Amino acid sequence: MSEIKVKGGKYKPAYPGQSIVAENRRKYLDPGYELKKLRSISDEDVVRLLGHRVPGEAYKSVHPPLEELGEPACPIRELVEPTPGAKAGDRIRYIQFTDSVYFAPLAPYVRSWMAFWRYRGVDPGTLSGRAPLEMRERDLELVAKELLETEVFDPARVGVRGATVHGHSLRLDENGMMFDALRRYTFDKKTGEVVYVKDQVGVPLDTPVRVGKPLPEEQLKKMTTIYRVDGVSTRDDPELLNWVKRIHLLRTLAGFRLEKAEKL
Amino acid sequence: MVAEKKLFIDALKKKFKEDPTEKQTRFYIYDGWKQSARKREFVEWAQKLAKERGIPGYNPEMHLGGIPVGQRVLMPYKISGTDVYVEGDDLHYINNAAMQQMWDDIRRTVIVGLDAPHALLEKRLGKEVTPETINQYLEVVNHALPGGAVVQEHMVEIHPALVADSYVKVFTGNDELADQIDKRFLIDINKQFPPEQAEALKKAIGKSLYQVTRVPIIVGRAADGGTISRWSAMQISMAMIASYKLMAGEAAIAEFAYAAKHAEVIQMATLTPWRRARGPNEPGGLAFGYLADIVQTSRKYPDDPVKVALETLAAGSVIYDQLWFGIYMSGGVGFTQYATAVYTDDILDDFCYYIADYVKKKYGGFAKAPRTMDTVLDVATEATLYGLEQYERFPALMETHFGGSQRASVLAAASGVGTAIATGDAQAGVNGWYLSMILHKEHMGRLGFYGYDQQDQLGMTNSFSYRSDEGLPLELRGVNYPNYAMNVGHSGEYAGIVAGAHAACKHAWCVNPIVKVAFADPSLKFDWTEPRKMFAKGALREFFPDGERDAVIPPH
Repeated sequence: MSEIKVKGGKYKPAYPGQSIVAENRRKYLDPGYELKKLRSISDEDVVRLLGHRVPGEAYKSVHPPLEELGEPACPIRELVEPTPGAKAGDRIRYIQFTDSVYFAPLAPYVRSWMAFWRYRGVDPGTLSGRAPLEMRERDLELVAKELLETEVFDPARVGVRGATVHGHSLRLDENGMMFDALRRYTFDKKTGEVVYVKDQVGVPLDTPVRVGKPLPEEQLKKMTTIYRVDGVSTRDDPELLNWVKRIHLLRTLAGFRLEKAEKL
Repeated sequence: MVAEKKLFIDALKKKFKEDPTEKQTRFYIYDGWKQSARKREFVEWAQKLAKERGIPGYNPEMHLGGIPVGQRVLMPYKISGTDVYVEGDDLHYINNAAMQQMWDDIRRTVIVGLDAPHALLEKRLGKEVTPETINQYLEVVNHALPGGAVVQEHMVEIHPALVADSYVKVFTGNDELADQIDKRFLIDINKQFPPEQAEALKKAIGKSLYQVTRVPIIVGRAADGGTISRWSAMQISMAMIASYKLMAGEAAIAEFAYAAKHAEVIQMATLTPWRRARGPNEPGGLAFGYLADIVQTSRKYPDDPVKVALETLAAGSVIYDQLWFGIYMSGGVGFTQYATAVYTDDILDDFCYYIADYVKKKYGGFAKAPRTMDTVLDVATEATLYGLEQYERFPALMETHFGGSQRASVLAAASGVGTAIATGDAQAGVNGWYLSMILHKEHMGRLGFYGYDQQDQLGMTNSFSYRSDEGLPLELRGVNYPNYAMNVGHSGEYAGIVAGAHAACKHAWCVNPIVKVAFADPSLKFDWTEPRKMFAKGALREFFPDGERDAVIPPH
């Protein structure tokens, strides 16, 4: 995992805002901050949930190991140490999350920014209702494990969904769970845990995967990176609001009256 | 109690059984597609058709390998500004005859000036042009344009019932001349517009005489918009020859043809470049300002710039999103969901009227705020935050606009329209749109899908740029403008911003007074003053369109 993680340095994410939401954004983005582990999910269960290979199966490759490949002379290749997955020639595979608007720890943009800040060899996507993360397969499994086991995941408000992701903005069900048309997971009332019965694209699992208990909403409100009127409103964080306006003003003037933009 | 004042509450109560402020509900209990009368009808038809043709077709059980749509409530939609509730399916362009009529009416129209041909007749050919000869010509061209022969003997012609929608009318800014034109062929500016607008339009048009040609709809469907000016030019030239007893073939006729085909022609839309190649009069080349002129709400509601913006915006969403991006450029069924967000459930109406009230209170009326960045920052921020707060206070509202790009479009539209009516400036309006987008993004941590919001994070940079290769006034941009050529949920809204800005200034038109008058035509079946009512009629299957083929097919 250390070969995939970006090492935290002196430079910290400079995201603006004085609220807890802004603080959480800075915290999760900062590779120097260790994400809090809240649950344990075995390596095999992560592989099952991803659905790209069965546990124990060898990684498929799309090219020979880099050592055998005989790469051309290239200063960038000398500068950048390949990740283990890249060295081995793994396929690029994905994990995709859906984050509920109801105080999920992350939202898609924050998820992408976090991936860029914290991990190497990532290709995140940013949509409103889903956030894919593509990596070399063995690297992906390590990162997926961290994303599922730590405070950036909540079993009820975050879904692992490869397709038919619809649900981020829908009301919650009677158990406080996010809607999923494919019903990949169920709420086990006896244990209070969420159990995945299908993998991320909806293929039924032989062995269900338990991902733990949903967090109370009050706790989610303290962990979230989402501004909401019933949580922390943007109106209550003037530093963020003014920063956005300034960005807008600079971008506008830079394209129209550059000399004015330079004076701001 | 505050909730009761929101314009969208009635629709939310009809859509969902729970209180709109409730955060929880139940899913997976609605019997899938069977909860929808429209989908049941589709299944019934599909089963009948499968028996008749021997090939299976529509079958919602094929959805997601047996998990049909309808795991949650398949909600109905209220057409904004009306009391009509419809199913989402009724708003797909292919399912809605009124939407198709709307586009057909634009595509089949070209405007052709008569000044050059008349000068040619008088100066070169020594013919006299009088109101009487003009009326005679109009009778001939109304025979010729739909497909009647006028010069040669033993010609095939077109069944009048197939082309009942085709005719030619004229208009002028000269009251004296207008008085002498046969009323069956006249678009009467004084009758169609409020006095102040009529005066402004007549002054702009002057003594010139323009003919509006409505080429048969079936011609546009058989070929494309590019043929409209050709068909019109052919029949206009023939009608000129017949009306003024000209020699069919002398050099002067070439000049008639040139005037009718090029020199005096106003196309509704320009050519698109090779990678999106379409002829003129296709939606890809329809400028936002032209669409804002084609929509006629401003002559019926001259004191309500919000209504003007909303009706234009709805028309634009159907033409640009549902038809151009959704059918011409893509295909399938996905785009309707994006487009309908701005003209259903009174949601954008609520957001726009809220910000209009804010503008009136703060700046003393419409088009009175300083045209400065401070105004943009103020109005667009307030519109965006107000709208976001509504989505968050009413979970049923958030669920109604379940896609981020729907919410982004609606909030940015409210911000753009609000800024446009505050300043009376479409460029300020579109700049407000872009502020809304990045504010929304930082607030929610999400916006639209991959390609949706890319343009919104850089568009402010060229929103005040007019120079070639750097920008263009919003009025003259269209879906072929570089940043706008790729995605859904923007362009109809931009047309609404243009319309709102000019309506706030009480302008009689946005870009082109000639286009404005050409669509002030009571003979059109699509009522351009109320596009949303027309869509509702189409959804209820009460709209009877032009251009059908009943006259030449077996009774059915």
